[in-house]
Amino acid sequence: MKDPPAGILQGDLQDQKIAGYQSHLGVTRTQSVTFHGVQVQSGFTFDQVEVAYQTLGTLSPRRDNAILVCHALSGTAHVAGLHPETGRPGWWDFHVGPGKAIDTDKFFVVCSNVLGGCDGTTGPLSTCPETGKPYGMDFPLVTVRDMVEVQAKLIEHLGISQLFAVIGGSMGGMQALTWAVHFPERVRVCVPIATCVSHNAMQIAFNEIGRRAIMTDPNSNSGKYTSDRRPNRGLAVARMVGHVTYLSEYAMARKFGRALQPPVNPAAADEALFAVESYLHHQGESFVSRFDPSSFIYLTKALDQFDLFGGKPPDEVLRRAQARFLVISFASDWLYPPAQSRELVRLLKRARVAATYINLETLYGHDSFLIENPEFANVVRHYLGNEYRNADFKEAGAAI
Amino acid sequence: MLDLGTGDGAFLERLVRARHVTAEGVEKDPDLVARCIQRGLVVHQGNIAEGLDQYGDQTFDCVLLLGTFQELISPVEIVREAFRVGRQVIIAYSNFAHYGVRLQVLFRGRTPVTKSLPQVWYRTANLHFLSILDFREFCRQLGVSVIRQDCFNAHGKAVILPNVFAAEVVTLLESYIRKLNQT
Repeated sequence: MKDPPAGILQGDLQDQKIAGYQSHLGVTRTQSVTFHGVQVQSGFTFDQVEVAYQTLGTLSPRRDNAILVCHALSGTAHVAGLHPETGRPGWWDFHVGPGKAIDTDKFFVVCSNVLGGCDGTTGPLSTCPETGKPYGMDFPLVTVRDMVEVQAKLIEHLGISQLFAVIGGSMGGMQALTWAVHFPERVRVCVPIATCVSHNAMQIAFNEIGRRAIMTDPNSNSGKYTSDRRPNRGLAVARMVGHVTYLSEYAMARKFGRALQPPVNPAAADEALFAVESYLHHQGESFVSRFDPSSFIYLTKALDQFDLFGGKPPDEVLRRAQARFLVISFASDWLYPPAQSRELVRLLKRARVAATYINLETLYGHDSFLIENPEFANVVRHYLGNEYRNADFKEAGAAI
Repeated sequence: MLDLGTGDGAFLERLVRARHVTAEGVEKDPDLVARCIQRGLVVHQGNIAEGLDQYGDQTFDCVLLLGTFQELISPVEIVREAFRVGRQVIIAYSNFAHYGVRLQVLFRGRTPVTKSLPQVWYRTANLHFLSILDFREFCRQLGVSVIRQDCFNAHGKAVILPNVFAAEVVTLLESYIRKLNQT
């Protein structure tokens, strides 16, 4: 495995400030749209669902260049550019922008906050119209399929009948896969990254540790907490565990090693001695300031219950897909290990779906798609570029 | 078509563009897989020595083993897998009984280094050294028949005494065991 070139930032853009970071997109804004009468798989019907979303680039006259970017567990609609209030770059600013892997000069990029999230789309924090109070734990269980159904409404609202591509990592990859099998005629290219067709016991176990940390926080009050007494400590612990699973041993050794955190006081049992401890505390606190504990519970539940095939034979489900696939995994990802992506590819190929697969040797674990990553960016840029050109040729050919 | 050990995809791209075949490649090196993606090819990162489990039976008309055959630890298993996923198999190999090789061994007493076998013994990726007669025997053992064989050397096609004058061989194979089962 190769070391990354010097000067590459080792970290994602969500919870760390990068001094002097500049986005090529400048300030980008999030918009909102409301849909009425939205039924979810559990049977519950929302009177209204608000969806926060961002669009970047320009929709072509033929409306054939739209790419839906699906975010992961802790992501938001703010995919790239600088946030108008906080000034922070979007979570995928490394890879979405002019000339980047997902080129906003070429493509019309849409990213929306998922149903059950806490960044503007209806979720447990939203006010229930019947009680006038936040839903909290009365929010219905939502699934990845529900998230995708809401995205489909948004895409229709934007006047797009077919997406050129759906792309996402981790939970975003599950959404991309769901799009390809439930709206086969609306997706040309599907790019699931570091994801799986269903969680294994280890993935469920880590999520349950997070959920237990929140539910056993004295402030949680079985989920009926108020905004001034939130189970923040539980959420911070959940994020600490989660964050470790997103990294790799190499990433942590390189970033922290056994470096000490000043002021060094080896005699104090209740203080962070090592830099890695202090870093995790910071990650936890930073997450609490932007994420809702009940959203964390609902979204991790959706992840654990995700099953692309829903008990049906994989072959039968995947044969429906009309998209061409690019499946990407990372050799150092131990949370969504490459074997899960290989299994997805095996099932796709056995269903005679065109699938390209690459297992990148990026050393930074599950987070490898969120960090600055030239190999990853190259693969995505070329794949999308080639597929877009080919689709163009085919259409031109059909017209003649 | 399925191209095993497709490398940077240069050959497969020519094939796809010139012959308009639907094809995909398998390559184990992620850097080379990335180059294939750059060329717009469907490619699968995988080690063919671990089998071709991702493909169903008889998915392809033809499976290509062009630069890789002599580098395979167990060619028997891979040729069997190739015939599971494909109807025909094309294999290319270097003929170790070429007269240049024979002369080098005879007069220099050293392991030969030729145009077809350009690396010294400790650096070569080739694990197996075979002649045309050896390959014929290998096919017989596997229940595979040679439908077509083209032999080449520095001057072009080698027609006379290929086991002596051919440096490179390309063969088109079919499994007669499957044919027997079908009839």
